[in-house]
Amino acid sequence: MADFDEFVAGGGIVEPVDDVPHEYRDAVFRFIELHANSELMGGLTERDWIPRAPGLRRKMAVLAKTQDEIGHAHLLYMVAADMGVKSRSEMLEDLFAGRGRFHNVFHYQAVTWADQVAIAYLVDAGALISQQAVFKQCSYGPYRRILKRIIVEEGFHMRHGEEMLLIFAEGTDIQRTMFQAALDRWWWPTLHMFGPPSKPDDVLLRWRIKSETNDALRDKFVQKYATLLMGYGFVPPDPDLHRDAETGRWVTGEIDWEPLKATLANLGPDSARRIGGAAAHWNDTRWVREALETVAERPAA
Amino acid sequence: MHVIETSAATASVLEVLARVDDPEYPGVSIVDLGLVESVDVDGGRVTVGLIPTFLGCPALAIIRADVERALVDAGWPDASAEFLHSPVWTPERITDAGRVALGEGFTVAVQLGERSPPCPRCGVAAVRTTALFGSMRCRSVARCDACGEPLEVIR
Repeated sequence: MADFDEFVAGGGIVEPVDDVPHEYRDAVFRFIELHANSELMGGLTERDWIPRAPGLRRKMAVLAKTQDEIGHAHLLYMVAADMGVKSRSEMLEDLFAGRGRFHNVFHYQAVTWADQVAIAYLVDAGALISQQAVFKQCSYGPYRRILKRIIVEEGFHMRHGEEMLLIFAEGTDIQRTMFQAALDRWWWPTLHMFGPPSKPDDVLLRWRIKSETNDALRDKFVQKYATLLMGYGFVPPDPDLHRDAETGRWVTGEIDWEPLKATLANLGPDSARRIGGAAAHWNDTRWVREALETVAERPAA
Repeated sequence: MHVIETSAATASVLEVLARVDDPEYPGVSIVDLGLVESVDVDGGRVTVGLIPTFLGCPALAIIRADVERALVDAGWPDASAEFLHSPVWTPERITDAGRVALGEGFTVAVQLGERSPPCPRCGVAAVRTTALFGSMRCRSVARCDACGEPLEVIR
């Protein structure tokens, strides 16, 4: 164990064939499973907006985003399953039975198109900040290599979000009101997404899965996005948000962690509908998987 | 690989294009990916003909804007880029340098013909497709049976 700690601390990259302490395997597996589940749930949510997105260009962007996320989930489930803790079907069964975990932001309902814009602008940016921090140090080789491609694609989602935000920011009073209402709904969940304050003995930090604490990443997000949003004339729903007189840095009000805890227990406002919808989708598409398996098993003519 | 007839002017345009990265693969140029089909220089006017890997590629507008901006910055104010409907892009258009960069930088293999491409991790040609579509329409998901790496393959 001491050797392994030293290997990882010294910048070593762990591959699936390597012997690792089971604590490492479990911690990294849980992290990748959470990521895979979140990509799948995010992709399914995104998919709902393909027919409702305004205009062909937006539909193409949402379609591409859906494909990105389902593709990321597919690859991440492969990497997670290779760790030998749970098979892919066990992970999916757990997810659809409400025993799996996925990011808090997918436990809420997107009410209007402006919610989708807020998600693309805030949630995707927050996810990118987190993923970049993981990629910078990540000790697990297969995850690191897939993250590199994921990060590039998430960059597109962010660009798409920025483009859409500008339309709302420069739009009519109705559009501005719509976005402000969406911001009121998504600001706190986005801050929660970075996770509760990291414990000093967080194994994910020690083993270089995370490179920065949850609070440090959350702060990075707040510094950038509080400034941008205020610049566009939107106001985050935090009466205590202010700039520190000395440092000039944004300081948020106290964060209520109860909503995050509820989502982690799959008891968020929209958890039941989301999980039920994903499970129903999995059942509805069973015939496609069975047909593909039949074709794969049939000897070539 | 696709070769464009060069004059001094088209050569200098190509030099600029060789520095325009594909937005999906930072560090790999659109020239290495074989997206550049034609370069026409008529006096000060430059027209670049590009071909998309897939018609529905969501990055087309970004690629076009990146090309035009690079040419304007390089002193061709009257530059435009357009996407052509033919010929059809194939992975054979990717240069050797492009193939190496995709493998080393992104763990992405390039499918040429029917045979398995070499795995970008271990070099063994034992790459098996597990899903026809990955996170992009131009990539499938595969697994290397030799080293076990989950991969994506451009096809």
